[in-house]
Amino acid sequence: MQFKAKKQLYLNTSMGLICLLVSSGAMLLLLAIVFFIARESWPVWSAMGPAQLIGGLDWNPLAKPPLLGLGAMICSTLWTALGAILLAAPIGLCSAIFLAEFAPAWLAAIIRPVLNVLTGIPSVVYGFLGAAVLVKYFEISWHMASGESLFCASLVLTVMVLPYIVAASESALRAVPSEYRQAALALGVSRSYAVLKVLLPLTARGLLGALILAFGRAAGETMAVLMLAGNILLFPTSWFSKGEPLSALIALELGTSATGSLHYHALFAAGLVLLAFVMGVNLFINILMHYKGKRGT
Amino acid sequence: MMVKRNAGRVGDNKAGKANLWRRCQDIIWLSLFWGAGLVILILLLCILAYLLYRGGSSLTWEFVANAPAGFPLGTQGGVLPAIRGTFYLVIIAVTASAIPGIITAVYLAEYAGPTKFSSLINLTVQCMVGVPSIITGLFAYAFFVLYLGLGISLLAGGLALSIMIFPVIVVTARDALLAVNKQYRLVGAALGVSRWYILCEVVFPQAMPAIAGGLLLAMGYAAGATAPIMVTAAAISADSSGNLFEPVMALPYHLYILFSQHVSLSKAYGTALLLVLLLLLINVAALWLRSIKKGA
Repeated sequence: MQFKAKKQLYLNTSMGLICLLVSSGAMLLLLAIVFFIARESWPVWSAMGPAQLIGGLDWNPLAKPPLLGLGAMICSTLWTALGAILLAAPIGLCSAIFLAEFAPAWLAAIIRPVLNVLTGIPSVVYGFLGAAVLVKYFEISWHMASGESLFCASLVLTVMVLPYIVAASESALRAVPSEYRQAALALGVSRSYAVLKVLLPLTARGLLGALILAFGRAAGETMAVLMLAGNILLFPTSWFSKGEPLSALIALELGTSATGSLHYHALFAAGLVLLAFVMGVNLFINILMHYKGKRGT
Repeated sequence: MMVKRNAGRVGDNKAGKANLWRRCQDIIWLSLFWGAGLVILILLLCILAYLLYRGGSSLTWEFVANAPAGFPLGTQGGVLPAIRGTFYLVIIAVTASAIPGIITAVYLAEYAGPTKFSSLINLTVQCMVGVPSIITGLFAYAFFVLYLGLGISLLAGGLALSIMIFPVIVVTARDALLAVNKQYRLVGAALGVSRWYILCEVVFPQAMPAIAGGLLLAMGYAAGATAPIMVTAAAISADSSGNLFEPVMALPYHLYILFSQHVSLSKAYGTALLLVLLLLLINVAALWLRSIKKGA
């Protein structure tokens, strides 16, 4: 009896230990990703200097000496992602409000799985449809030589990030205690007035978090922007000009860069910039939500 | 009619006008909300209908069961090696990350209290969800392909995808375990049974459908991803025999090549339709599995 209990005890503690080890491994994996990309990009940071690498506007890895400025790509990434959020925010917030407050139960029960299915469609299909339909449309009806532009990429990214915005904002809206709604309605205002003047200010932080999350997603998206942004290494001067976001640059040139060359290291530097940006966005959301928890709404 | 009644009730003309304006505003906002909600439905319907319309004719049995042929490659024939390659990639990804993912989820849900360390792991997992897939590909290229010397191969691609789906598995499995009624654990503890025993005999069977649903969701995610395998595993043409150290074809990458190299638009539509139908099937099955536990 005594022996059995002891064995059980060992089993329990050893299982706890294994779980602990494996989950620490998960953390190490993230660290390894960051470390490896930083290590591979180190030569180019020290050779070019951060200011020239991030601020430089010319990219020509074959020139002598190679011109490796990421400024145009960073600008393209920001432009497509911001444009997508600009387009997706009004639609996404409105449909989140619809789902949380106005939709009949049966309709909401249809729309929620539809959101899941929309996130399940792979980005290459979105990119393909955008390139085959939207780009053709721009070419034919606007008489453009080639229809690809940052605007096109933003438009398709809008569809891609919409489900994330809706899901996150809906859960933020649902977290508001129903007393607020009842109190507002008891004062005799209409339901949409109550939503706009009571619920929205209360959930502003959660909604902002949803938008920022979607922004991070849009910035990291690869296939859709690769097929739609035009892939021209010029500084984008307007939303309708072409550009090449960071993710598209990496996907296009990684296979052709010679291992160990400055070009190769510069692509890892581009990855590091993108990773730092997206992680920064994630940490910012975490702080935002944590702060809200402390204030105790 | 409406206006008159309102005005009459309020009695004052000015108040009636303000009331009318309020009503108009309400109607405008309400129609905006309804419109935005319906846009989502219309979007999915449009995407599916358009794909069916354009790709339906090329999605035949010959297309699914034959290898690509013609010049340039892909103008004729089908996508069988791509299907096989995607299948192998997904299987490798899931086998590599299911067990560590579920163990991490067990740790988060069962062992770790609300400590600093567990919130650190939660934050890590949340950050990993956010890591763009091309960054995963970049890391896999530097680490698996070059550093470990695996080359552009099935194994490197599968491992890249496993890193990508790992956080998805952790999050879905953790939520599935946390959703199991707390009562069971309390009762078990009161009976003096060990934590491990309750976990194996009570909590796991309860959470199993939802965990399986999460795995399926992760598999769908892996099957559709292009960016990580583009630089680690995919080839324009390969027979995808399942050799771990050879490049493979994959459905999403095949679609990208068919379109971007202007090989064949109709075959591209067929591939896109096939991919979307496959993922639709996986996602609906995953949703169904994850909704089971609510009834129990």
